[in-house]
Amino acid sequence: MRSSLRDRIYIILTALVFVTAIYMVFIHAPTERVMGPIQKIFYFHLACALAAFLSFLTAFVSGIFYLVRRDLQWDILGAASVEIGLVFTTLVLITGVLWGRPVWNAWWTWDPRLTTSLILWFIYAACLILRFSVDRQDKRAAFCAVMAIAGFVDVPIVFLSARLWRTIHPVVIRAGSIDMAPAMIQALLVALAAFTMLWVVLLYQRSRTLFMHNRIQLLEKQLDGEQT
Amino acid sequence: MNGLWLIVTKDLRAELRRPESLISMIFFGFLLLVVLNLAIPLGTEVAPETGAGILWVAITFAFVLGLARTMSREKENRCLEGLLLSPLAAESLFGAKMVVNLVLLLVAELSIIPLFFILYGDIPLHSLPMLIVVVLMANTGLAATGTLFSAITAGTSRNEALLPLLFYPVVIPLVSITVKVTGMIFLGAAVAEYESWLYVMAAYGLIFTGLGVLLFGQIITE
Repeated sequence: MRSSLRDRIYIILTALVFVTAIYMVFIHAPTERVMGPIQKIFYFHLACALAAFLSFLTAFVSGIFYLVRRDLQWDILGAASVEIGLVFTTLVLITGVLWGRPVWNAWWTWDPRLTTSLILWFIYAACLILRFSVDRQDKRAAFCAVMAIAGFVDVPIVFLSARLWRTIHPVVIRAGSIDMAPAMIQALLVALAAFTMLWVVLLYQRSRTLFMHNRIQLLEKQLDGEQT
Repeated sequence: MNGLWLIVTKDLRAELRRPESLISMIFFGFLLLVVLNLAIPLGTEVAPETGAGILWVAITFAFVLGLARTMSREKENRCLEGLLLSPLAAESLFGAKMVVNLVLLLVAELSIIPLFFILYGDIPLHSLPMLIVVVLMANTGLAATGTLFSAITAGTSRNEALLPLLFYPVVIPLVSITVKVTGMIFLGAAVAEYESWLYVMAAYGLIFTGLGVLLFGQIITE
């Protein structure tokens, strides 16, 4: 099955927005006075965090829908979003570490925000490990749905505990105001759009692959049944 | 409600006849208290916060040992199918298993915590009632989460190895707050200083008990 024209147009569009985002971040947005060029990593860092959050939200919602409807489509969507979310969380952690080394003078601090992201990474990595450990399909789907729901419910608690700690993570967006130059905000918005579009492409393609993989397995099983 | 207590008494009676879970929990907790002592240079006093960390690492690690047994025991001889055929709601089954886990955890703590004070003698205990409150609140959260995840891993091919991998990431916020509060109790802080943390612990316990009640049936029928 080849990708349809609509898919290809969407992928090309995403690539164009991505190129625009790179232009906006590196040329349009001014270089920050204190941190210098290393600040540019922030646009991608935040965009990855958004994509990761979208993935985990999708995993949570599809987990609920699977348990209610018992339709494997939801399980496939959940599986794809956990995988993609894990990739983006890894990117958030890596870009954060790269930024922290020159700015905070440490690769890693046990700042609550960092700890929180790392815990999230562990929760969703556990989701993936669980997926490999159960053989029967409906059982695996139900278990992974429960894990995705429990993991997502844990996020506000992790955040709540982070609020009580003192944080050194920069707070850029406060209620009502944003501490950034207009050109920086424009660059950020384009970067966010680019990563959201990339997220949609990845989620769609990955769930389609998983869906087809599923169908092949089903057909193989049917063939086996006919031969014996 | 009646069925809930039947299962609780059945499990506790089975545990009493062969207290293998309990003994291994206490033994492992004791062992961890000794092993974690390696992290402290000889002759230095343990800071109260570090002591609190050591205590809770020992307790949570020991807990997972008993946790895996409670559910996997029902898998043997297809006991779980029997329980599901009985006119007992999945919610009561969750409640029963949670109570059993709570009792196991509490009994293990009754040995581990005194042992901790004996081994790490220079840590002062300023308020026993507050320590009891914190232990009970932490236990609720640990037992609720643990019961939910032990039901999941009991259904997988490698249950005992998988349980800590699923369980620890989800309870990290609870354990870290518990360590913090316990450390403050060891330091002799006023209740007002850590009051807000207690709310988070209570919220964690409530949310995961609710989640367990809602989702346990979905897992157990698979």
